[in-house]
This record gives sequence, structure tokens and C-alpha cells, in this order.
Amino acid sequence: MELTAETGFKKPFKIIEPRKGLFQLELGGVWQSRELLYFLIWRDVLTRYKQTAIGAAWVVLQPLITMILFTLVFSRLAKIPSDGIPYPVFAFTALLPWSYFAQALARTSSSVVGSANLVTKIYFPRLLIPLAASLAPVVDLIFSFLILLVLMAWFKIVPTWGLLALPLFLGLTIMTALAVGLWSSALNVKYRDVGSIIPFLTQIWMYASPIAYPVSLVPEKWRLLYSLNPMVGVIEGFRWALLGNKSPDFMVMIVSATVVAFLLVGGIVYFKKMEQSFADVI
Amino acid sequence: MSEIAIRVENLSKKYTIPATQRHDTLCDQLSYRLKSVFHRNGRAECGDKTFWALKDVSFEIKEGEIVGIIGHNGAGKSTLLKILSQITLPTQGRSEIYGRVGSLLEVGTGFHPELTGRENIFLNGAIIGMTKAEINLHFDAIVDFSEVEQFIDMPVKRYSSGMYVKLAFAVSAHLKPEILMIDEVLSVGDLQFQRKCMAYIEELRKSNSTILFVSHNMFAVKAMCNRVILLSEGKICFDGSAEDGIKLYEGPSKTSALPWAQNAIGADPSQWDVFIENVETFDETGMQRDLFNYGERIRIRLGYTVRKIVSNPNFLVSFIRSDDVACCNYNTAMDGFSVPSLETDGMIELLTPPLNLVSESYKIFVLVRDAKFENLYCAQVGKTFHVRHDVLNTHFGVFHEQGEWFLPNEVVDHKAFNFTGGLLP
Repeated sequence: MELTAETGFKKPFKIIEPRKGLFQLELGGVWQSRELLYFLIWRDVLTRYKQTAIGAAWVVLQPLITMILFTLVFSRLAKIPSDGIPYPVFAFTALLPWSYFAQALARTSSSVVGSANLVTKIYFPRLLIPLAASLAPVVDLIFSFLILLVLMAWFKIVPTWGLLALPLFLGLTIMTALAVGLWSSALNVKYRDVGSIIPFLTQIWMYASPIAYPVSLVPEKWRLLYSLNPMVGVIEGFRWALLGNKSPDFMVMIVSATVVAFLLVGGIVYFKKMEQSFADVI
Repeated sequence: MSEIAIRVENLSKKYTIPATQRHDTLCDQLSYRLKSVFHRNGRAECGDKTFWALKDVSFEIKEGEIVGIIGHNGAGKSTLLKILSQITLPTQGRSEIYGRVGSLLEVGTGFHPELTGRENIFLNGAIIGMTKAEINLHFDAIVDFSEVEQFIDMPVKRYSSGMYVKLAFAVSAHLKPEILMIDEVLSVGDLQFQRKCMAYIEELRKSNSTILFVSHNMFAVKAMCNRVILLSEGKICFDGSAEDGIKLYEGPSKTSALPWAQNAIGADPSQWDVFIENVETFDETGMQRDLFNYGERIRIRLGYTVRKIVSNPNFLVSFIRSDDVACCNYNTAMDGFSVPSLETDGMIELLTPPLNLVSESYKIFVLVRDAKFENLYCAQVGKTFHVRHDVLNTHFGVFHEQGEWFLPNEVVDHKAFNFTGGLLP
């Protein structure tokens, strides 16, 4: 075992002391515990639809029903344009990352509080908890993606080479959910108010993102401010990669990605800072 | 000389208790911060109290030592274990740990009720620090050890609590750490299961593992540990042999007031009509002892001080086992001994019948009432004594008394005899 080899050198295997630097992030520990991360994700996926009547069908039904509703309300009634793409496909392409984001955010926010029994009883890198919570819904997203392929075939839309860029945008989506989730999960330990704010925030956020309407509907002068919402870049990216009829606004992408990067680094630093008192205040 | 396993230097942990109100919602926090902006002394007024759960604790533990950490509630035992197992960070000081740590502050940490036994073995194994390869390797052994093979594919929410604990411990027992920290998890399960737990500890001991053991059960500490660290108010007040440490922990003969009595007859025991100053235990020959063999008689000597004359007093002595089971009671009124009115300080002694209590530790509760059990004059808990027997423990009940046995034909005769004797004229 490599652990015993290390102790053989009379070198401390582990030193426990108050944390000094703000940027002492111990990300190596997260990498070392990747097996546990895998098990936590596996648990989340496995238990999600236990003791439900139709089980995993929920994964498919939820975005599908939302898509139908959106089509009826926004397209048929409100006559919102969809950049020349059949509205159901237009909406579903955005719902794909959005439903993932909404679900991942909700789960991540309550993840640390929900794992109180772990946090107070055993040590492992705490970052694994929000990380697992934000990665588990990716499985749902993959299922929805298959539905989208069916839809695209139905409307005879042929994917372009942009499809190859999809993982990039998927990564950006996960990072957005994780970044916001890190802040909210750590805050939630101390202030349970977060639990009430998140569903509300998610709802506002949905209207602030181009899910039911195209970005082109937003006036040009507000575009930059609008793209501070990282989900704008994500959804634009998804539409371009999957439907590919219009090249994306790169300015929007860069702004969104920069915001995510700042949120994520800040989130990790904040989480690590708060983590020290998790076991004491949870 | 053997290698160091754990080195702790000036370890301290401070907790803050908000004094007046809690500020756990964002709104509270905001109004609190605002107040402290407007009132210059706002913060000082609400003055959050701080207390040191641990203060400047230093010790070294060598490889292969089994150390018991004892102390009264709130002495800092669990805090120490939590810091050493990295659940919480110290405020000051440092500790070095040389070896792979396993900590069992609870068995079955992270068990998910919806998952099956099989799935939980993997999940719990990963959480307590086993690799997937290790779990795979030990899987059959874990299932065997747990004795729940036939339910292994059933969600654990359908398990009985006994099965749950067995499965949980089975996983933990296959963690082979170099340093193990345990917090009273072994006091669960039935007799056979407890034996397995002790066997697991024994096996770890043989493989030269270092064990840190927090417990209130002095009997278990005495049986397992060769060294104890006694904590009191966050500081180490004794570090040495188990025998001496336990003696110090239990106090030579000091008594303390029972909280419920403080509500009933006054918070300050020094104002009570009668106060038991000390409780001492002797064997029949008058040797001062606190460890007795099963079946021995015990002399319990109570020294009391009198503040107000008590007429017709009734002294009561109860033995309360470490798991809070009240085992027996002796009192002067029912034992037909009349005590003259208490006017000056004095002493009274009880000689128990041969005590057939099972092997455990027992606290001595002393009360003074009147003969009709109406008034209470004092209620205190005195020292603890132990009863020793190789086989008899709490699984055999409270007492073990000898019964009479008969072979079948004798039973029939006996019944027939009783029958005719009892029912027919």
C-alpha cells in the first residue's frame, strides 16, 4: 500500500492545524477521493427514482411536458418568434441545459445540509458533496438529449459540425450549476433562508434566460448586460451547436464564460472557507 | 522503541455561543449587524460567549497503544476525536498523524435507506475510506460477518435495527486502519455480536494498530485499554495507567447532587437539611475496595452532615448500572431498621446481601427521605463500584440467581403433586 510506504519515511502522514491561507484549496484531496465521488453520484442516480410508479420515465416526461406547454403558451398564444426554427425544437434545445441547471442547482444547494450526518461523523473532502450533487443530474440530461435527437429527426433538422462543440457547452453548464451551487450550499449551512430563495431565484432566472424567446428579441444595447447571465451563453451555445443555423455572438460567450470562471473560483474559495465550520454549525 | 502514531501539540478548540439571541437567519444577521453599526457597544452588549472545548491539549501516542479517552460529559472527548479525525479543525495547535486513519464515530455513516444491503456495503465502504478494490475483495467476508445474507438485496429501510447495525458494523470491521478512533459504537447489538466486535479490536491490536477509544463505560475501558487520558473541562488532568485514571475519574468518595433533586428541594445542596459528604465501599472484612467479585457482600459507608434536625429519617441506597438501569434499592424503613433523629453529623453503614449483580459498573445513589417516603431531604450520586464475573454480563439480565432444575419425569411428578395438592381436596 502506498500509504504505509509514506509513513515509513517518518514523514507526517497528515498534519491537522488551523487553516491559514485563503487559497489553501486542497484540490489534490478531491482527486484522491474520486472513487468516493463516483459512489456518491451513483447513489444519487440510483435513489432518485426509487419507489416511484413510472421511475426513470420522469426524466423524459418533465422536459417534454414543459416543451409542450411552452409551445402552446409562447408560440401559439404569444406568437414569440423562434429564429426560423420549429418552436418545439427551439424550446427543447434550451430546456435541455436549463432543466439540468435548475435541478442541479436545487440539489446542490441542499446537498451539504442534506448530508449533515456525513459531515458531522466522518472526514472526506467536503467539496465532493456539491460536486456529486451537480454531476448526478447529467444522467438525466443525457436521456433528454436522446429525446431531442428524436425531435430533430421528426422535424428533419440535420445537425452540423457544431455538434462537436457540444461537450464544451455542456461543461460550461455544469460549471455554472456548480459555481452557483457552491455558494448556495455553503450559505445554506448557516442560513437556511437559502432553501426558500433558490426556487424563487430559479424562476426569475428562467425568465432572464433565452429559453422561451430568442436572444435576438433582446435590444442590442442591453445585450452585454444580458449576457452577464451565464445561462445566456450556455443556451446560445446549445442552440448553435445543435441547430447551427446562426453563428453565436462570441462576445456573449466570452462574457458568460468569464462570469462563470469568477463565480466558480470564488465559490471554491468561499466553500473552503466556510467548510471549516460546517461540522460545528450544521 | 516503537514509532509515534499520533502527536498532539497544544490543541485547542474554541466555540462561540451567541449570548442573547441566535443569528441564524439572514434577517437576524442583518438586523444584528445594523444594530452594531448604530450602537457602538452593540456587539459588546450582545457579547457572544466563547468557551474552550479543548485547551492546550498535548500528548503522544505510540504505535500499537490502545488509549481510552475518558471524562465527564462536556469534557472535550468527542471534540478531541472529531479534530483528530478531521471532521472539524482546531482553533489553535496542531497534531500529526502517522498512518492510515479509520474513524468510527458511528457505524453505518451514509447508509441510504432506499438502497439495498449490497449497494450500501459499497457506499458505506467508500465513505469510511475503503477503495473499490478493497470492498470487492472483502465483499463476501462482509456479508458473512453481517449474518444478513438472505436480505442482502433488500432495501435497508426494511431491515430491523439489529440487522442494520450488524451490516453497518460488518463494513466497518473490514476497514483495516493503522489508527482507529472509536466513539462508543461498540455498545450495540446482541451478545454474539458484541463478541465479534471485541474480536475485531483484538485482531487490530495484534496487527499493532493504534486505537483511540472514547467511552463512558469504565468496564470496557478497563478491559481494553492500557492507558487512559482523562479530560476535564477541555484539559488533560491525567494521562497514565488505566487503573489510576479510572480511579481518578470516578473520584475517591466525593458525591454530587442529583439535578432533579435540586429542582425539588433547592439548587444549593449546601443548604439542604442533610448532606451526604462521602460514600465509601468496603468488602466484608473492612478492606476499602471498588472492584468486587460476583456474589460478594459490600459495605457502604455514608458520612453525612446535618443542618436541620430530621426526625424519623429513612436512608435509601440504590445501585444504578452504567446504562442507567436501576438495579436494586435498600432503605432503612423497609429493611426494618429505625434510625434515630438526625441531630449531629454522623455515619451510617449498609451491608448488602451477597450481590449477584452481573459484571458491570454501578453508581451508588443515596437519598434521605422520611419513613413514609413523603419528604425528600437529600438526593445525591456517590461513587461507582464494579462487579466482576467472567461470563455474566448485561445480556444475562440484572441479577443472576440460581434456579432449580428438574428432569422431565421429575417435572411430571412435581406437577402432579402440585395439582392434587392445589386443586383437589
